[in-house]
Amino acid sequence: MVLILIVMFGISVGLVFPTLSEAQKEQKTFVTHSGGVITTSGEVIDPVYSDSTMEFDPMEYLRDFNYGKISKLPDGTTVREFTIIAEDDKVMEVSPGVFYNVLTFNGTVPGPTIRATEGDLVRIYFINNGSKEHTMHFHGIHPAEMDGVFEIVGSGGGRFTYEFEAGPVGVHPYHCHVMPLEEHIVHGLYGVFIVDPKEKRPPADEMVMVLNGLDTDFDTENNFYAANTIPFYYQHHPIQINTNQLIRIYVVNMVEFDPINNFHLHGNLYHYYPTGTDTVPSSYTDMITLSQTERGIMEFEYTYPGKYLFHAHKVEFSEKGWVGIFLARDNLSQESVEADYGT
Amino acid sequence: MELDKKSSKGKILASGLAPFFLLIIMIAYIFGPGSELLDLGTPLPEITLEKIEFMDSEIQVTVRNTGPISVEVVMADVNDRIQPAAIEPDRFLERYETALVRIPFEWNEAEPYIIGLTIDDGTRFEREIEAAAPALKPDLEFVGFFAIIGTYVGIIPVLIGLLWLPFIKKISKSKYHFFLALTVGLLLFLGIDSIEEAIDVSDENLSSSFNGTLLIATTVILSFLGLYYTSEKLTNKADSLRISKPIAIALMISIGIGLHNFGEGLAIGAAVGLGSIAFSTFLIVGFALHNTTEGLAIAAPLSRGKPTIGKLLGLGLIAGAPAIFGAWVGGFAFSPFSSVIFLSIGAGAIFQVIVIILKWIREEGDSNLSSAAVASGIAIGLLIMYLTSIII
Repeated sequence: MVLILIVMFGISVGLVFPTLSEAQKEQKTFVTHSGGVITTSGEVIDPVYSDSTMEFDPMEYLRDFNYGKISKLPDGTTVREFTIIAEDDKVMEVSPGVFYNVLTFNGTVPGPTIRATEGDLVRIYFINNGSKEHTMHFHGIHPAEMDGVFEIVGSGGGRFTYEFEAGPVGVHPYHCHVMPLEEHIVHGLYGVFIVDPKEKRPPADEMVMVLNGLDTDFDTENNFYAANTIPFYYQHHPIQINTNQLIRIYVVNMVEFDPINNFHLHGNLYHYYPTGTDTVPSSYTDMITLSQTERGIMEFEYTYPGKYLFHAHKVEFSEKGWVGIFLARDNLSQESVEADYGT
Repeated sequence: MELDKKSSKGKILASGLAPFFLLIIMIAYIFGPGSELLDLGTPLPEITLEKIEFMDSEIQVTVRNTGPISVEVVMADVNDRIQPAAIEPDRFLERYETALVRIPFEWNEAEPYIIGLTIDDGTRFEREIEAAAPALKPDLEFVGFFAIIGTYVGIIPVLIGLLWLPFIKKISKSKYHFFLALTVGLLLFLGIDSIEEAIDVSDENLSSSFNGTLLIATTVILSFLGLYYTSEKLTNKADSLRISKPIAIALMISIGIGLHNFGEGLAIGAAVGLGSIAFSTFLIVGFALHNTTEGLAIAAPLSRGKPTIGKLLGLGLIAGAPAIFGAWVGGFAFSPFSSVIFLSIGAGAIFQVIVIILKWIREEGDSNLSSAAVASGIAIGLLIMYLTSIII
């Protein structure tokens, strides 16, 4: 009987203290994306993107404007030709370790930023290399048959040429308009279309930010939010800007499922031009609220150098990746680039 | 003649093995060249958050891969907000492999939390905790605390129950049968209770891939068979071991009840450890009342023997002390899988005890087990247990 009790005691001690023997493993210390420190013998799981594992480069996308192949009509009108290829079989690492099937225009989410000057003739050679039907639907002013809704482009190499006069001035989204529409949009078939005024905007350090979300488990709720697809990216890779230089952001909200999104800037306020259609800003603020495909142009300048956050003030979104940092420096080597409209 | 014998033996052997060979060939074919034929459907990954503990500024999650394919755990969140975390030993989980996810987080006591983990295909799995409570550390204070609870719940009630011994010794045969049957009723209730508890733990914590109910049924039956076999050997050898048959039977009952109390202690320890109940004195009183009846079960066969005080104490400890060990294990090293196993073993042990007592009643004269004493005993036993269980 005593023996049984001793054995019982032994078993329970063994079950209670198994951790003691494992405590000798090598401990490593990590600093996390939120600034916390973890000491562990295992691995850190934290959405920190390193350049080596990156497939889509949000930093490159940020200032990448496509002006197209340029030619002139006999009457002097500028023609801009673009080739856009839709695919739907790509699986992209959208956050470290998370692989998600994205539908793409020219291989990225968002698709390329298409830029033209008001009155230019925009011609887009659209090729659908996907396995589903797709189209390109531009927000803006164009003939009904160029609207990309009823002219479905078949899968496996279907083609369509969109041709229209660029207008109105401003920043507009383009996206696929094939049913089920929500599926095609949330998987990434969208991009930005900028129409510049004929009289140029003042020179500035210009950027595009598409506010988007990813529903990786298909429960009609976004698992991630971001500016330019990759969660937390600009937090780990701050956007370098100059102090005392005009910054212009073309911001487009493509978040689905959630009724609104917003944009809050730290340490500063910005002039906001809704849809970019007017030359007079509607407000001077540090907070705008955007509904689906609502967009505009933000202009601001930093006086003091340092790190400034920008993020959704719907904090849930920022805690799921829609957060970034501007690193403002005095006399940064990067020159203020004169806006070049490709003419 | 010898050749014939040998060849016929060979034939028997071959005919016995042939089905196995065919089965092996079929399995090899399915996994090998025939695998494409069966490549239908998409296997869906699954992980189960088996245990969540709240430590100093940290939430610890024990996660198990309970799906058909290996997965990578890539992200953790608290209340659906992404949190940086560590995973030990690493983020790759083969089938049934577990890992510990450590999320640094300033949690607040008694607040509800939903902990989520995301795997490589973007699927998120979550588990809700109704009220966060600090995890217990196996320090001396809590070791002592659980020892006291175990003593109150296990040892003392059983010993008190044993005090019925002089009373049982003096009563008539039919009244004695009644008390034996009463313990059968009590134990029957305990056995069913253990199985129910095991099913609860399994449903709440274990993935369906464990086939919880079948696991419990299998364990209960194996435990029953093992103990029944042992008890038969023990009672048959009782003479040579210089213990009387009643004491041998009482010993087997004590062991069975002890195994059951280990499971009960486990449940109490786990409940305290996981913060799912506040341990009230009321609850302890309930358990104590409940378990006093276990002492009666041991006392019943002893009344036909001549037990010494030492033997009585020993039997009481065997039956009651495991509650303490169970509380330690449940409080400090809770694992839902081992809880289900121990609760099932306890249930099997109880059923074994029931069979022994029924046999004892038959040997004592009521060969049909159909007397009014037996029927009413079992019925009243069940009712007593049901009523005391309401208090718990």
